[in-house]
Amino acid sequence: MTIVFLTEEKSMKVMLNEILPQILPMDIEFLILEHEGKSDLEKSIPRKLKGWKTPNTHFVVLRDNDGADCIQIKNRLVTICSQNGRPDTLVRIVCQELEAWFIGDLAAIDSADLVRNSRFKEMQGIAKFRDPDKIVNPKDKLRHLIPGYQAVSGARSISKHLNLNQNRSASFQTFVSGVQQLANNAAVI
Amino acid sequence: MQLESLAIKNFKVLQNLHLKNIPPFAVFVGANGSGKSTLFDVFGFLCDSLNHNVRQALQKRGGFKEVVSRGHEEECISVELKLRMRLLDKDRLVTYLVEIGPDANGIPGVSREILRFKRQEFGAPYHFLDFSWGKGFAVFNEEDFDKLDENLDREHQDLESPSTLAIKGLGQFQRFRAASTIRALIENWHVSDFHISAAQGSVEAGFAEHLSTHGENLPLVAQYLYENHRAEFDNVLRTMERRIPGIKNVTASSTTDGRIVLKFQDGNFHDPFISRHVSDGTIKMFAYLLLLHDPTPHPLLCIEEPENQLYPSLLAELAEEFSSYSSNEAQVFVSTHSPDFLNGVELNSIFWLSKDKGFTNVYRAAEDENIVGLVNEGDLPGYLWKAGMFREADPVQ
Repeated sequence: MTIVFLTEEKSMKVMLNEILPQILPMDIEFLILEHEGKSDLEKSIPRKLKGWKTPNTHFVVLRDNDGADCIQIKNRLVTICSQNGRPDTLVRIVCQELEAWFIGDLAAIDSADLVRNSRFKEMQGIAKFRDPDKIVNPKDKLRHLIPGYQAVSGARSISKHLNLNQNRSASFQTFVSGVQQLANNAAVI
Repeated sequence: MQLESLAIKNFKVLQNLHLKNIPPFAVFVGANGSGKSTLFDVFGFLCDSLNHNVRQALQKRGGFKEVVSRGHEEECISVELKLRMRLLDKDRLVTYLVEIGPDANGIPGVSREILRFKRQEFGAPYHFLDFSWGKGFAVFNEEDFDKLDENLDREHQDLESPSTLAIKGLGQFQRFRAASTIRALIENWHVSDFHISAAQGSVEAGFAEHLSTHGENLPLVAQYLYENHRAEFDNVLRTMERRIPGIKNVTASSTTDGRIVLKFQDGNFHDPFISRHVSDGTIKMFAYLLLLHDPTPHPLLCIEEPENQLYPSLLAELAEEFSSYSSNEAQVFVSTHSPDFLNGVELNSIFWLSKDKGFTNVYRAAEDENIVGLVNEGDLPGYLWKAGMFREADPVQ
């Protein structure tokens, strides 16, 4: 079986490339398609779902919430997937954007060595880092911690060190468990 | 150094162009012939004027009549730079103005050259250097800032010729520190005109810290970085390995006739390939990485269309690397036709040029409220550009 991930942009693709091999068993292949932002992603969903020919393919749609109403967005995307004949598509909303998943694991940022000898992980318990999904603009927050932070190269260096079982971001946990479940279901079938 | 503003008059298609609040990283898009190369050539022109003289810089571009804007032949070409820089132990906003026009006999020369900055927070800017047709004055006890204007010592000077810039003539004297600082700054600008064929060859053994304009000293720069900044060189190699499938190592080695040649090691084969037989994109990526990992960055770096010969998915990260190179000390200007490159650029860095009635106008993406709104909603800049949101930039309306 193959899982096709539809992402909003490159930094998410780079992150998935690092963590998916740890989540998915060897016999499940994956393909990550990056888009040029939200409009591009949403227009692409119906075409990908309808036009895909290879059997035994599952889809995962990942969209940033960016401060909107995440339940509403998720319902809308689920509807689009059903309307295009793929009700089994896994839709996951990133709250609010990828960088929150990094802030949810400050130890990973320390290990990436983007700031020499940083000890951000000691701050993980304080209010503003305890629930990273609530941070309005996590990319800005990350830039504040890491001067000169760049989205793609930053994602490349941090993702390697992410601990999949200990992340303070609820949307990250929901994503990981969703993908694990998708893989398990496939194994049963 | 930060170039905060740039005002150009009568330089080819740039008849009247004023860029304000220029960010450390600035990316320009626009139709063919909209003035992107001409904008970068303003910097090249200043470098040439400084390294040689104004007449040679004009000659290289076809002479005054070809350089001055059509229909404005009676006027002066003028370039005004406002630079925020460290000068005489303080951060200052320095204005450097050069005007070039024909003399009574129609021979072009420097009709006016001024260097001015404010000595205090308040008050009118003070002229530290003021020349016209090869004659003028410069202040030489600049460091004594508490003196009243009338007590500062002005030294009258005659330059070699009206075609010589005063910052060149005086910049070599230590007592004119302001002039020599500006001179050193402009001399270190890097306006890239990278020729793959030039960079692919071998070079006479020697020493080079910085990549040359055409890139022919690439093997020497690689050797320098390898021998003196090993960690940076290893960084470059790791990045090459990730981006160019197969590449494992790059070495600069001597040939029997005392030349230096680059060798690229493919992990699948025993013998390395010499640079002449390596793909254009491989050479170009290697040259950019050496440029971007330069331990002493250029105060200003101008690169045209870095996307040529490179695989599209590498471009967003390349854009990030140019952005990382830029800082308070180094500014980067890039022109591009690549939406993939632009997708990796912050909105505040994006400008587009367009031609109106034969001359160039400049627009700033961050000043368009719809573009700002759409990017905040999650669209990427390159995507919006392709969709036609940079209205004036598109050749077909």
